[in-house]
Order: sequence, then structure tokens, then C-alpha cells
Amino acid sequence: MNAAKPILLAEDNPRDAELALAAMEEEHISDKIVLCRDGAEVLDYLYCRGQFKSRLKGNPAVVFLDLKMPKVNGLEVLRTIKADINLRPIPVVMLTSSREERDLAESYALGANAYVVKPVEFHKFLSAVKELGTFWGVINEPPPEGSRFSHPHS
Amino acid sequence: MDSTSNHLAEPPALAIEEAKPHTDILPGSIGFGHVRVPWFEKLAIEQRVLAGFSLVFVGILVITAVSYHNTSILLANSRLDGRSHDLLQLLSNIDVAMTEAEDAHRRYLVTGEASYLDSYTKVVNQKPAFTNYLRELTRGSTGQEQRVGVLDRMMDKQLNAESKAIALFEKGGFRSVKNMALEGAGRRELGVIHQLITEMDSDERQAMNGRVADSAVGTRNTIVLLGVGAFLQLVLLAWVYYLIRHDITERRRVAGELQRRGELLEAANKELEAFSYSVSHDLRAPLRHIDGYAALLRKSVEESLNEKGARYLQTISDAAKQMGQLIDDLLVFSRMGRQEMLRTSVNLEQLIKSILADLRLDLQGREISWTIAPLPEVKGDPAMLRQVFVNLITNAIKFTGTKSQASIEIGVDRPTSAEIVIFVRDNGVGFDMEYASKLFGVFQRLHRADEFEGTGIGLANARRIVHRHGGRTWAEGVPDKGATFFIALPTRSSES
Repeated sequence: MNAAKPILLAEDNPRDAELALAAMEEEHISDKIVLCRDGAEVLDYLYCRGQFKSRLKGNPAVVFLDLKMPKVNGLEVLRTIKADINLRPIPVVMLTSSREERDLAESYALGANAYVVKPVEFHKFLSAVKELGTFWGVINEPPPEGSRFSHPHS
Repeated sequence: MDSTSNHLAEPPALAIEEAKPHTDILPGSIGFGHVRVPWFEKLAIEQRVLAGFSLVFVGILVITAVSYHNTSILLANSRLDGRSHDLLQLLSNIDVAMTEAEDAHRRYLVTGEASYLDSYTKVVNQKPAFTNYLRELTRGSTGQEQRVGVLDRMMDKQLNAESKAIALFEKGGFRSVKNMALEGAGRRELGVIHQLITEMDSDERQAMNGRVADSAVGTRNTIVLLGVGAFLQLVLLAWVYYLIRHDITERRRVAGELQRRGELLEAANKELEAFSYSVSHDLRAPLRHIDGYAALLRKSVEESLNEKGARYLQTISDAAKQMGQLIDDLLVFSRMGRQEMLRTSVNLEQLIKSILADLRLDLQGREISWTIAPLPEVKGDPAMLRQVFVNLITNAIKFTGTKSQASIEIGVDRPTSAEIVIFVRDNGVGFDMEYASKLFGVFQRLHRADEFEGTGIGLANARRIVHRHGGRTWAEGVPDKGATFFIALPTRSSES
């Protein structure tokens, strides 16, 4: 269990965010959610700067990334995370409306840990978000903080 | 198949059409482009160039043959001239020798000096050689040959007369030959010989002059022919060059045009891709919200919601789901149009088997008798062709749903060399042939939404895929009796 670690949800659309939060609420994990409205905010959070300057140190349990976001889009955020030695271990789940092969291929090429297409049907969306939140936020064991074992050369 | 034959027929017609306005691409430089010869206009560029080169070739052959002929005549004449010069020299030598014989024998008769006899004997010894050489040099020319015969006899006569005189002298001394010594024994013959030689000389000179004039004419003709011929060759070559250059210019222009169109097409395709991308992303979000908020609303007012309200909410989310399905189908449809096509051998029998295995779960509780004939291999994209048969088979299953005893048949129809026709036949609700043309349209449905579910894109998709394989689709049906869907795939694969 990693009850202490927050779940970072990057979602520019407030309705999608509300629906996702409603789903998480049913699983009683909504209080662990940190909502970011664009890619720049996600990076601010991860690097503890801007409005997140004084947040508690430590990486989130998982980042749910929308692809299409203002300022910095999902793929750019993903590229930044996977290029940073300290952020790379964070599991990143793409949560998007796009079923385009190009997006899928590019996401995995950049190192995404999962790719989930938001179902149109609310029931399916609900169960998808619930399962994702439970799995990545509760069941999955996140990497230990400051771990360098996977990169002995650096 | 109409489209294929059109494609084949189009390019040449287009080339001729487009070549015409460009014939004056070099205004006034060479006039050939403006000459209109009906049969010539019909020839392709290759045939024209071949014709041009053939003419040049024939011209070179003619010039070579005529020049060779004329030069051989010149050579023969110069050989004859050499012979004539030899003959003239010989004749003058004979003249001198015979005069010498006459003089020498007379001096001998008068003086008895042996050296004169020697001179005479020398001429006598030379005589057969003279005759032989004469015959050789005059062979083939009758007039001269006859004269040589006379000349030969005269020479013999002269020498005989002289040798007789010498014999008499040696028997009876000077007295017996005094008259002969004074007059000369062969005087008369020598005169004839002299005259003959003069005649032969002038004859030979005349023949030489004739030949010189002849050679001059031949040489002039050859020079004229070479000049005119070379000019004609140059003109022909210039014409062929013009043809080839014109053709290359034209081809380059067409290639440029093609490339430009290709780039435009690619840009259009990119735009379409961007469009479908944003459709896929942006159109789905509001639908999800409609369905989501309807669900949230239902949850928050659950206790006070009456039956009518519940139905309204259900309709809202059903409509949103349906539109989501439509968008997904449309995306698949658009992707089928631009997706890269594979070209491999597809075993239709195995394809159908695997489709039926996948559909097994959906078929639970249904009574369907399947008839599947042996199916051939075709060339095409396996995933796309699978989509075609999935659509046709699920349609057949869907539209036989109202029948207690459904039967579906898959087989090959009218196998021809040009195409393979495969059909999927069912005994379902069928359709009125009046609406057959609408069947394959996007979002076209012949049944009400509450009768059979579906978005009306399956057959449109099937048709699009078959068209991309260079084939065609059609359907036959009778209301309440069933429907048959045909797809024809060309045996030689081609993308249209």
C-alpha cells in the first residue's frame, strides 16, 4: 500500500476532471488526487516550483496524462519526465480520447507505462478510472524515492 | 472493370491531346511541327522517331551504294587509262623498232657490216613479244584487235621480205640486192604499219578522252549526290532531334505536373488526417460529458426520479452512446481509405473460419445452418478483407435474426479469368431491389433503427475496401426472402 502518495491527474477539461473525480470518490481515493489543468502545471508540481513551491517533497504514485492540453501537451510532459533521471521511475498512464495509432506509438516510444482510451460511455469511463486509480494509486508499489539502482552508471 | 479499361485507354489519348497545342513550342525555328499529315498524326513518338531514323538509314545506304558504283567506274577508267598509256608507248616503240629494222637491213645490204645485222635481228627477236603485248593491251576492244591482227601480218611480211633480201645478199652479194637495198625490202609494209599505228594511236586517244569526260560526269554526280544527301540527312536528323526534344520537354512537364498533383494530394491527405484526429479527440469529449452528467444527475436525484424522467435520462445517454459509435465507425471508414495496403496472398477459407470462430459467442442461442463452399486464395490486404467479410457475415447473422431457421451460404460465383466473385447469401429479411443502389452508401439504412441496430457504415466500408483492391460490389435481394451480397476481386491485384 502506498496510501501516502498522491495521484497526479493532468486534465484541462473541467468536466472530464469532475467526472474523473466523481469516479475516484466512489473508490474513496479522490482526496489523493492532485489536479493539474495543463502540462506546465504538471511540470511545476514535479519540479516543486510556482504554486507547488512549498509542497511536500516526493514523487506522486502515478501521473495520469491527457494528450491534448494547453501550453505543454501530454507528449511533451511525458518526454520531460522520461528524460529526467529523478522523474523517470514515476509510472505515467496516458488517459486520452485519441485512438490514433500515431499517438499510441509515440507514447509508448517515449516510455509511457500504459495507454488508456477514455470510453464514451460513462459506465465504462467510470470503471476504467476506478480501476486505474485503484491499481496505480493503491495496488501498485511505486518505485522507492531516490532510487538509483536501475541506473548504476549515473 | 470499366474503370480499368478507361485507365488503360486514357494516357495515350491524353498525350496526343496535349501534344497538339505544343507543336509550336519552337516558333518558326523548324517548320515540321506545323505540317499536318493525318496518318502521321496518328503515329506515336516512338514510331515517328523510328521512321526518321529509318529514312536516315536508307539515305545513307543509297548514298553509299551510288558513291561506290561511281568510284568503281572511276577506278576502272583509271585502270583502262593506264593500259591506254602503255599501248601508246608500245605503238611508238613498235613504230621505232620497225623503222629501225628497215633501216638496219638496208645498211647491212649496203655495207655488209655485221652490227647492222645485229640491230635487225634484235628487232626480229623482239617481234613476238611486241605482238603478245599488243594483244594483251587491246583485249576487249574489237576495232583495235582487228588492227592488231593486220599489224601483226604486216610486221611479219616486212620482216620476211627483209630477211629474204638478207639471204639473197649473203648468196649473191650486193649486186643481187641492189634494188632492194636502195628501195628497202619492206618499204611498202612499213608504210602500212606506220599508217596502222597512227590510226590505232588516234583511236586510243579518242577512247581516253571519252573516258575522261565520262569520269568527270561521274565525279560531278557523286559530289552532287553527297552534298544533297548530306543535307537531307542533316534535315532528317534535325527533325528527329526536334521530335525527341519536344517529347522530352513534354514528358518533363507532365512529370512536373504529376509531382505537383501528388504533393497537393499528400497535403490534402495530411489535412484530412488532422481533421479526423481532431474529430476523434474533440467530438468524443462532449459525448462523454453528456453521458457522464446524465449518470451523475440520475444518481443525485435517484429518489425523486419518476419513470418518465428515468426514460428521458436513458434516452440522453443512449443517444450519446450511439453518436460515439457513429464517430468510431466513421473514423474506421476514413482510415480504410488512406491506410497503407498490404499485398499478400489471402486464404479466404481460413479467413472465414477464423471469423466464424470469433463470432461463436454472439451466435449462442441462434439456429443457423451454414453452407461454405471451397474458397480460393486472393491477393490483397488480409486485415482489410477480413473487415469486408466480418461486415457481410455479421449483416447476414443480424438480418436473419427474425427467422426461426436461418441459413447462410458463402460461395464462389461465375469464376472468370478476370475476377473472382464471392457471395454471402442469407434467407433473412432481404430488401427491395428498388433501394439496392442505396445499400452501400455511408449511413444508409434500409431498416428502422428499432428493427435492427447498426450505424449503416458496414457495407460502405466493405465497398471502399473492395474498390481499393480494384474490385466491385453489388447485391440482390427479395423482401422477406433474403439477400445476396457479391464482391468481385480482380485476379491481378491493382489499387484504384
